[in-house]
Amino acid sequence: MNKLVSSILFLAFVPGLAAQTPGSAPSADPAPPADAAQPLSPSPQDQRIQQLEQKVDEMDQKLRAAERNKELKDQADAETAKNAATVTADTSGFTIKSNDGNFLLKIGADLQVDNRSYFGTGSGSFVDTALLRRVRPTISGTVYKYVDFFFRPDFGQGTTVIYDAYAELKYFDFAKVRIGKFKPPVGLERLQSDDDTTFVERGLPTLLVPSRDIGYQISGDVVKRRVAYAVGVFNGVPDNSLTDAAVSDHRDYAGRIFLTPFLPDDRNPLSGLGIGIGASSGNVDGEALPSYKTFGQNSFLPFASGVTEAGHRTRLAPGGYYYLGGFGLYSEYGLTEEGLQKGTLRRDIAFRAWQVATSFILTGEKKGFTSPTPKRNFDLKNHGWGAVELAVRVGNFSAEPGLFNYGFASITTAPRSAHEWVGGVNWYLNRLFRTSLDYGNTNFGGGATAAAGGNRPSEKALILRFQINFI
Amino acid sequence: MKHTLRTIPALMLASALFGAGPIKLLNVSYDPTRELYQEINAAFAKQWKAKTGADVVISQSHGGSGKQARSVIDGLQADVVTLGLAYDIDSIAEHARLLPANWQTRLPNNSTPYTSTIVFLVRKGNPKHIKDWEDLVRPGVSVITPNPKTSGGARWSYLAAWGYALKKNNGDDKKAEDFVARLYKNVPVLDSGARGSTTTFAQRGIGDVLLSWENEAFLALNELGKDKVEVITPALSILAEPPVAVVDKVAAKHGTTEVAKAYLEFLYSEEGQEIGARNYYRARSAQALAKFPNRFPVLQLFTVDELFGGWQKAQKRHFEDGGVFDRIYGVGR
Repeated sequence: MNKLVSSILFLAFVPGLAAQTPGSAPSADPAPPADAAQPLSPSPQDQRIQQLEQKVDEMDQKLRAAERNKELKDQADAETAKNAATVTADTSGFTIKSNDGNFLLKIGADLQVDNRSYFGTGSGSFVDTALLRRVRPTISGTVYKYVDFFFRPDFGQGTTVIYDAYAELKYFDFAKVRIGKFKPPVGLERLQSDDDTTFVERGLPTLLVPSRDIGYQISGDVVKRRVAYAVGVFNGVPDNSLTDAAVSDHRDYAGRIFLTPFLPDDRNPLSGLGIGIGASSGNVDGEALPSYKTFGQNSFLPFASGVTEAGHRTRLAPGGYYYLGGFGLYSEYGLTEEGLQKGTLRRDIAFRAWQVATSFILTGEKKGFTSPTPKRNFDLKNHGWGAVELAVRVGNFSAEPGLFNYGFASITTAPRSAHEWVGGVNWYLNRLFRTSLDYGNTNFGGGATAAAGGNRPSEKALILRFQINFI
Repeated sequence: MKHTLRTIPALMLASALFGAGPIKLLNVSYDPTRELYQEINAAFAKQWKAKTGADVVISQSHGGSGKQARSVIDGLQADVVTLGLAYDIDSIAEHARLLPANWQTRLPNNSTPYTSTIVFLVRKGNPKHIKDWEDLVRPGVSVITPNPKTSGGARWSYLAAWGYALKKNNGDDKKAEDFVARLYKNVPVLDSGARGSTTTFAQRGIGDVLLSWENEAFLALNELGKDKVEVITPALSILAEPPVAVVDKVAAKHGTTEVAKAYLEFLYSEEGQEIGARNYYRARSAQALAKFPNRFPVLQLFTVDELFGGWQKAQKRHFEDGGVFDRIYGVGR
């Protein structure tokens, strides 16, 4: 800037010099003024120079002030930016985060559109349909650094249900406290997010664990995150169900422990091994009866009229998985022994289920408990095809004979067992989009003879799903 | 004070028994007090060590007084605040409830150990012939002062100018507003604090006159040299009373209440007063002032209470959003 000022001064002086008497050389010995006693009045040239100097000073001041104002604005902007919340939009959803990270708001969504088709003689009464299986906007986040919150309603299938609404204090990783409505810590597959399950519908053991319940839970990761535990007290809900209030004073006590003993060493071929068990126990009195559904989402075990839950209910749900590269093996067992009452008769009836599933990702991604992230997103122009996975599972569900013997269900309308196999292919276009095509066959045994004079005919269902999920 | 004296032996014992590390205090202050508190902190730490055997380390935070108050309200862990004006500490008491509303009654002289005033710093030779407030509104005079919305010193300057105009115009408020509006029309840069304005004036060479805390003006004079700048004391100015207070809840949380109290009480001691006077603050102690004869010119001073009905009223009318300053500075732009 000094150069600029010098230049301006120079330019200012030049016209002044040029304004001197043309052709007159500067005199080495100028003539004395006519009246030396009187003060010299500035020559017009001097006045001109002074005016120009003044203008240059003013311009210089303005320039300096403008630069300083810019500097102050830059400082203020930097300060504002330093403290400003950050807004991000990516495959994890839409996020607003405070500068210190103590406050976070995430908006996500889970949308599943299914097309169900039924085949075979046992499926004649089922209507082929396209439906919104899940429509779940999600609001989650953190307040005051240590308190997470999660809210997720579901508007799918023409209903409005609050599936999850809870807050969790996470001050200690080894003892997080959660209150609200959420998945009780019993079934392994139930605890897996619906967008991460290998098949479009969960297996038969998940019919024997609660879906959501309201209660209090302490959970944590210990032993270098190799052991996860959770214990809680809940209102108590029937198998595969959720409610918003208790129907009796009794409570369910639930707990779970899960081991991943070889984590986090990725080089260990057993690092993908996880095994654990969940359980719950509590008295029941007047609760609604559970609804057991096939892969095609049709109820298959209607209880007799006048039957209620009464007495005690115990659940046991061991399960585990093993993942290596693109290969996955998953297995779970479920047992629910619950008291049923009809009239004055009370008996404990056991329901059992198991499943074994295996899958393989053809495109080289790693299989895990959560959905794979494609190495190359689907993009025809860039020869990206996403990730493709093949999967198959077999499973079985059975109730003990007392179900019929004590009149809790009728052998003419209800089967006592169901055996399914499901094969499917998953196409993960990218982190958010997934398309699945699953075919499921369910054979029934031990009852439901009224319609066909034998066992209930097999149900064959083909389900095509389009899914978008980000959270 | 008695309580402090009773506590000192206990602190000495605790220190001896547990070998505790140094006590840490954070003094959140306004912009031009850096040098003052550097000297105060060293002297107090020495005195505290001699009395209790314990080490105390005092950290300083400086910025525009209003901005500093906002930081404390937002969570800056100040054990003590030493701000430019009482209103800013009132804000902390009111909005964050970190200290009681009557905080100003807890120490002598309304918790103001020193006073100051607003003077003019001009360039050597005073080329614009600035002698008094009237000269600041002349066309072509460039005035440097911080933003009164963020700087305590700037609020004092603003009210000093307003008070001058009020007195000159026999209490005519409209004329006072017009005078201050004309003054701010001559302000090309608004820094957020006094130290920033000093930088603008002294280092960036902007402006003909800097409205400054008296101590800041003399520090600039010493730093820049008498061949660069001059201090002009107007005939009339405002009595600036920058107060101090322990931030009770923060000090209690840190376990520093006693040392924080002692720290502020030290400001009133003869040693503390002398340090204040040496740093160009008008000490309350006549004895301390006497050690620096001719340092503080005599001038007519008025107070905020006299002309503005106290800080609460002044703040609300002039400096809150939509107040007089917003109006006149908008007009000035």
